[in-house]
Amino acid sequence: MSTISIKNLRKTYGPYMAVDDLSFEIPEACVFGLLGPNGAGKTTTFKCMLGLARPTSGTVLYGGLPLVPATQQHIAYVPERSVLYDWMTVAEHVEMQRRAYAKFSVPKANELLRQFGIDQRKKTRALSKGMRTATMVALAIAREADILIFDEPTSGLDPINQRHVLNLIINESARGATVIFSSHQIGQVERAAERIAVVDRGRLALEGSVDDLKSDRKIVEAILPSETFALNGLAGDPRITRIDRNGRIVRALTSHDAQDVLARFEALGASGLRIVDLNLEDIFLCAVSPADATADVVEGR
Amino acid sequence: MPVVLTVDPRSGVPIYLQVIDQIKRSVALGVLAAGEQLPTVKQLALDLTINPNTVAKAYRELERDGVIETAPGRGSFVRSNGSIETTKTAATDVARDAIEAAIREAKSIGLLADEIRSLTSAAIEKWFREGA
Repeated sequence: MSTISIKNLRKTYGPYMAVDDLSFEIPEACVFGLLGPNGAGKTTTFKCMLGLARPTSGTVLYGGLPLVPATQQHIAYVPERSVLYDWMTVAEHVEMQRRAYAKFSVPKANELLRQFGIDQRKKTRALSKGMRTATMVALAIAREADILIFDEPTSGLDPINQRHVLNLIINESARGATVIFSSHQIGQVERAAERIAVVDRGRLALEGSVDDLKSDRKIVEAILPSETFALNGLAGDPRITRIDRNGRIVRALTSHDAQDVLARFEALGASGLRIVDLNLEDIFLCAVSPADATADVVEGR
Repeated sequence: MPVVLTVDPRSGVPIYLQVIDQIKRSVALGVLAAGEQLPTVKQLALDLTINPNTVAKAYRELERDGVIETAPGRGSFVRSNGSIETTKTAATDVARDAIEAAIREAKSIGLLADEIRSLTSAAIEKWFREGA
């Protein structure tokens, strides 16, 4: 099925710009996490990818080709809000999916629903929010699709079932499927995703492999000789994304080569040099927040 | 594999580096014996709830470092050829990281090379006093 390319995607609703010039690629068989604050444009991006919303401009390509109905057959989608029919039982949903999708596996659906402890005789209106999410996840995975798009696939689930959903995602990836999911629980994305994109107010704020981001994004902390000490040329260093000063303490957020940045501070006569690791939540907050977030992130440890 | 690895995904240390470090430590301690089979990539990914490509990357680096070897179709194993060397290499890697972190810290709080050297000598004296 190969790479999914999102190129200069833009979607406006009247005067509201939901997605603004978004570009990134999702490699085949990758677990890809889409992160962003509420209203950042994640769901709109998913809808444009699925052909459920028409982009104002830009394209979404699957293996270099626009989305066609034949490709749609290979994409399973779990939306954030329940799309189950209240008056139908879970078993009736299974039957409906079987008729709609050639590759749908009834034994797999039965097994997944059993693992979640869902009684198929129940009408879906009788299920809790979390169990409705679990039902949709189970039905999507039973389609044995090449691409799975999950919008908040763990919302409303207890920690045990959340972990179960993550393991299902991992299992799908291990068999070669591409999984794109959004979650507000950054710890889950940190576990399951190989690559992430952070969107903020419709724009791409950050994109890359989780491991690379953690290896590259560091805070270099140093104590300057005096409060008025000039940081000659450091503000223009391409490796430094942001500098925060508080008296003699200076913290520089680096995008790569933290060791070299540390050496530059050392050459200036700074002391107390150290490199602070950032986890995905810290990196996320630095990417989406206004300028003083770095200091808060380090202070908060 | 009798060893239960644990990773802390919320740490700032990339998960694949945590996996590498723990397997090297297990080999160094002899908890993972030469020739012992490691879980498959998929199995370890599911056991730890981490991305399969992350596990694959850790295995590739461990193989490059000579700690494990992969037989196509059979799986990954702790290297059996020159197992004493493998153990020694793994132990040296783990120890080097710990020592470098300590020296970096000592330097950052303003100690000079000679001062760090005498602290290191004193520590070696302390820990190797009896026999060895």
